Amino acid sequence: MFGFLRQVGDYTRDAVSASRHIAAGLSVTFDHLRRRPVTVQYPYEKLIPSERYRGRIHYEFDKCIACEVCVRVCPINLPVVDWVMNKATKKKELRNYSIDFGVCIFCGNCVEYCPTNCLSMTEEYELAAFDRHSLNYDNVALGRLPTSVTTDPSVIALRELAYLPKGELDPHTVAADRPRAGQRPDQIIAAEAAPSSPENS
Amino acid sequence: MPPSFTVDLEAGFRGLIEAAGLSPAASRLIWLPLPMLLVLVAAVVGVLVTVWLERKISAAAQQRIGPEYAGALGILQPMADGLKLLVKEDVIPARADGLLFTLGPVLVVVPVILSWLIVPFGQHLLISNVGIGIFLWIALSSVQPIGLLMSGYASNNKYSLLGGLRAAAQSISYEIPLALAVLAVVMMSNSLSTVDIVDQQSGAGILSWNIWRQPVGFLVFWICALAECERLPFDLPEAEEELVAGYQTEYAGMKFALFYLGSYINLVLSALLVTVLYLGGWGFPLPVEWLASLLGQNIDAPLVQVVSATLGIVMTVLKAYLLVFTAILLRWTVPRVRIDQLLDFGWKFLLPIALVNLLATAALKLAFPAVFGG
Amino acid sequence: MPPLADLTELIVFVLLAAGVVVGSLGVVLLPNVVYSAFLLGGVFLSVAGLYLLLNASFIAAAQVLIYVGAVNVLILFAIMLVNKREPMADAPGLGLRRLLSSGVCAGLLWLLLRVAYTTPWATPGPTPLGEDAVVRLGEHFFTDYLLPFELASVLLLMAMIGAIVLARRDVFASDIGTGEAADQGLIEKARSPLLIEKTRP
Repeated sequence: MFGFLRQVGDYTRDAVSASRHIAAGLSVTFDHLRRRPVTVQYPYEKLIPSERYRGRIHYEFDKCIACEVCVRVCPINLPVVDWVMNKATKKKELRNYSIDFGVCIFCGNCVEYCPTNCLSMTEEYELAAFDRHSLNYDNVALGRLPTSVTTDPSVIALRELAYLPKGELDPHTVAADRPRAGQRPDQIIAAEAAPSSPENS
Repeated sequence: MPPSFTVDLEAGFRGLIEAAGLSPAASRLIWLPLPMLLVLVAAVVGVLVTVWLERKISAAAQQRIGPEYAGALGILQPMADGLKLLVKEDVIPARADGLLFTLGPVLVVVPVILSWLIVPFGQHLLISNVGIGIFLWIALSSVQPIGLLMSGYASNNKYSLLGGLRAAAQSISYEIPLALAVLAVVMMSNSLSTVDIVDQQSGAGILSWNIWRQPVGFLVFWICALAECERLPFDLPEAEEELVAGYQTEYAGMKFALFYLGSYINLVLSALLVTVLYLGGWGFPLPVEWLASLLGQNIDAPLVQVVSATLGIVMTVLKAYLLVFTAILLRWTVPRVRIDQLLDFGWKFLLPIALVNLLATAALKLAFPAVFGG
Repeated sequence: MPPLADLTELIVFVLLAAGVVVGSLGVVLLPNVVYSAFLLGGVFLSVAGLYLLLNASFIAAAQVLIYVGAVNVLILFAIMLVNKREPMADAPGLGLRRLLSSGVCAGLLWLLLRVAYTTPWATPGPTPLGEDAVVRLGEHFFTDYLLPFELASVLLLMAMIGAIVLARRDVFASDIGTGEAADQGLIEKARSPLLIEKTRP
């Protein structure tokens, strides 16, 4: 009899605590209704990629010396360097250069190791295609510069979260000239130089 | 004493037609299909609004925007969804049972739409004040599992069959506490008719609503209604992680849309019935009679009647959509239960609680007949 | 307008009666047992329609709730859970068996028809109660039909306990692998590992 009553009591306590947890969860969900969406309406609005963004690789044919360092540092030996030895000049003569962006993982090793800086990362990330073979860029396609988000007249450029002023979450409401949170490298250098300069003088 | 003016659609409409010179028989013939049309339109519009609300509120709960471009604030998005499903190809799988496959969704939707007969929006603003009222709804909603089993079986697909079986098991398990919760309310109002149930809750405005007298019954009813609608804490008949889409897996086009429509109509209907049973139906939180006397108006004056009837409709819809809102919030709050937890919860928790609630209501009714309905 | 109402009633009656007759013939004669079960639901619904025609709306709703919503769904459940779809082999002497059973059925039909034609029916019958039917049913259940009512509930209780005993085989059964009493509670049980160590003989 007493055991049964205790069981009923335990059961009731469980039920009450479960309903309290559900109520707590509901209040969290309800609280989320207050928060505004920070949606970026993609084709019309775009985020500005960060300055070290690793997008599609840009390549300058004229700078390339066909050393194949990029091939060697690539995790999957992806770049295709098509050169022939010119017997007369005893120099490599570059015919073609291509990278398949359907396979590239954008690790940036080739850009890092290129001795002549003919490879560089761009901020282009819209690489959708109907045919995956059309992602195999040759030296002409690699040489094209992408349209910058900030200069494209049909796109509203928005700053990423890390580039917004302190406390701001929604890039839509932030004026373009307000500085980002923290200091830029040149400001840090200036700040480091400033206190030391009175001591020197 | 002249009969006081009340808002009665049928009498008004037929009076209008007969005044135009038609016989009573003809006016009756013209009137007959109108309520059915009204029910269909009301149900479909209710669903469109609910779908839009569901998408917008879900988006807000997840800090998204939701549908935006189809109409102002995406209000035409459900229409676009419906249109898309309407013009989609109607696929019947090769080894499926064509007849049962087609009949299944129909059997799911028809009882739900029929149940709208008994939903009152005002003293005379309902399709038919049948004496068995709320019992009709309970009886009709028990037909639904047959349609689910039928479509699950006819799809000739393991997931569909399992989904159908789960749906039927869930539906008949939660039917019982639901009926017991309704029974407690019926006991207090001494009538099965939905109009009588609402009338019994009028008088003192918000204080006389059944939710204060039946808090446990209200919770049991709402939980069971969510389970009957297969809303999210209990949506395991179509649990996509386990069963692809349950009994809907093989369906496409308009047949799939019928399931979709049926579940949303059921949700709105359940919310409306909670409103009727526990939240005072069309009653305003303050008694309308008191408000009218405060404004120095006669309650039987035509204008006051029209205003109070409009207020009644607005209040019913408002309360129902408040409940739909809580259902959507619950959807994004509570995780799905397992099938054994679901059946445990239904049989070992809700059923005893509903029984105790029924007994307690009976005892209270005997002890305090003034408060709990004599 | 009586003629219109009468005609409607007649049409509806003919339709429902045809539904009952054709449906029940289908239940008996169709080879597919699932079709039979669904047709049985149709028959129950038609009977409910007949009750509605007789102005017994409460009985009609109860018919739908109990026979369609509970009995028929349980039948379907049973069929679908054991759905094997194996071809039925013809039992020996099938023709004779069919002949015999149809003879019995025809005899039963003849008996019923005879009863129906020889009973002096009081036409028109008692006036339908309409809305008061619920109250009268309740009164009858708790006065002159109290004993059958209670007996039926006792019978149902017995059936339920029997079903529980049959379903919970752990009252008798023991696990084959471990020899301990088998538990049907699948989740909460502390489960023994699948591979039982066989080091100790």
